[in-house]
Amino acid sequence: MKTVKEINQKIENGEAVVVTAAEMTRIVAEEGTKKAAEEIDVVTTGTFGAMCSSGAFLNFGHSDPPIKMTKTYLNGVEAYSGLAAVDSYLGATQINQNPEIGLDYGGAHVIEELIRGNEVELVAEAYGTDCYPLKNIETSISLEKINQATMVNPRNCYQNYAVAVNSTEETLYTYMGTLLPNFGNVTYSSAGELSPLINDPYFQTIGMGTRIFLCGAQGYIMGEGTQHSTDGERRNGVPTGSAGTLMLKGDMKQMDPDFVRGATMPKYGPTLYVGAGIPIPVLNEDIAARTAISDENITCKIIDYGVSRRSRPVIRETNYAELKTGKIEINGMEIPTSPLSSYKRAKMVAEELKSWIEKGDFFLSEPLINLPNRGHVVNPLEITRPSRLVKDIESKTVIITHPDDQIKDVARKLVDNNINHLPVVDNNGILEGIVTSWDIADAVAKGKTKLAEVMTRKVVIAREDEPVDVIARRIDKNNISGLPIVDKDNKVKGIITAEDISRLIGENVENENGEESL
Amino acid sequence: MKAWLRFLPSIVNKAIMSDAIKLFDIDFNILRAHITPRGGKMLVEISGPQETECVNYIEERGIQVTPIMKVVKKEAEKCIDCGACVSLCPVRAICVQDDWGIDIDNQICIACGFCINSCPTKAIILIE
Repeated sequence: MKTVKEINQKIENGEAVVVTAAEMTRIVAEEGTKKAAEEIDVVTTGTFGAMCSSGAFLNFGHSDPPIKMTKTYLNGVEAYSGLAAVDSYLGATQINQNPEIGLDYGGAHVIEELIRGNEVELVAEAYGTDCYPLKNIETSISLEKINQATMVNPRNCYQNYAVAVNSTEETLYTYMGTLLPNFGNVTYSSAGELSPLINDPYFQTIGMGTRIFLCGAQGYIMGEGTQHSTDGERRNGVPTGSAGTLMLKGDMKQMDPDFVRGATMPKYGPTLYVGAGIPIPVLNEDIAARTAISDENITCKIIDYGVSRRSRPVIRETNYAELKTGKIEINGMEIPTSPLSSYKRAKMVAEELKSWIEKGDFFLSEPLINLPNRGHVVNPLEITRPSRLVKDIESKTVIITHPDDQIKDVARKLVDNNINHLPVVDNNGILEGIVTSWDIADAVAKGKTKLAEVMTRKVVIAREDEPVDVIARRIDKNNISGLPIVDKDNKVKGIITAEDISRLIGENVENENGEESL
Repeated sequence: MKAWLRFLPSIVNKAIMSDAIKLFDIDFNILRAHITPRGGKMLVEISGPQETECVNYIEERGIQVTPIMKVVKKEAEKCIDCGACVSLCPVRAICVQDDWGIDIDNQICIACGFCINSCPTKAIILIE
């Protein structure tokens, strides 16, 4: 019906009719797809979300004497420098070298700082060669001074994404933000009906070379992003999960700090908020109908992030209209929702792109190759040395105690068995608490005699089918030294301690050295 | 009214607030408190018909009263209106407005600090 060339001619003449994806949804609802396809030339989309897979290639220029940088640090954040002499790639999620700063200021913050025009400290190390004799450098750079600063984001603009919730009893700090215990809140990330790849779900107009809005500059789609996937479940044409992704590039020197922001997901790490918008040429009625998708027709799944495994259980399905009401029902409870991407700024992106096109400052480009819309799946990473499960290392007979036992008997039990942890169980072997040798020392010091007075009742537990690495993380996070292993009925099956785990690591090292495995 | 009450070391062992509550029949809600033998401070909400008399009374007895309009402040240039804080607020003091901007209602806020710790851009600060 229309071609990109014709639309560009209209843009040139100042006659192109441009609307945002949110406006298009209303227009099609009121006027129908046929009329909308005739009248509307371009639909602009937008998103402003945390996109961890982002970063920048920087070329610092040559110093005198010259240096072949092998390690570079920008405001204390390491950039990868295994690229010629003075090129580096700064990743958004790289954390600060200074442990006291750590997650609070990472690669994403440096990227924002550069785009703001601020000076950034550059420290580089080298081994020195005949042509690059310098071994150390300490200087400052700014966006203006360096040769190139090209943002290249390997995976941005997920087509759709999981909605997160936490079924466990502890707060979780994730890339989906802070998740409160016992289904305390729900977080979601997609901009819904405004989101770029939701408006062209089969990539009829999007591909390599598509000119886009990237962080306030004109950027380009390099191709499909990493983990691009096409064959998952769809509803109304739109994938119900993560699916398609984009690899994007743009010139940081043209970017606007209003549309990019370094951030830190609490206790998770740095990430870059990227503002991205794609113009979709309305070439025919089908494309018009796709861009008219509304929030209630975009299905997504609420996933339990309390299960720290690759495949997490789905709690229920929902859609963006429901999520955007601010509350959602799970198991009969009303749960507040948080968007993690800024819908306000996503709208600003779509509006800004719209005004560029209306003013004739931005022309559409036809993709060299469209993004693949089938045959792409995401492969898992298989660990060649299979991860050990808790049940693989429990071997000792379980020694237990009861809440009404006397402190001195418990002390005897700890000493006789040369152990530090004792699960406290009821008459059916169900876990009631835990007591450590420290607790007993404390009880003696305070003159207490009954175990029930000193035992810890809120016990961190391990289950038999959990990987040992997950338990190691749990021990670390809760600052404890051992946890009881329980079955699904909370019956105590054993105990796993930090010592057991370090012994296991010791065994693994021996195995790697060629010794016989157990 | 919401106010910060500051206690000097010389008065930490006196039950001034307790006396004030009995004398002026006020509703008294502690939102935040940190008081040691070296003194300290408390963020409270005081309400009732004799609110002013109560404040005068406790001031006379050595508590420094600093009424506040805002408990927390959202720095506009840092906030990106992502909304991460909205579902974490235990008293629903944070809401998404019609233009999708994020707003904190200081009347409802109890200064728990949850939003402060969870903000990706550290845009929320406690006013002390």
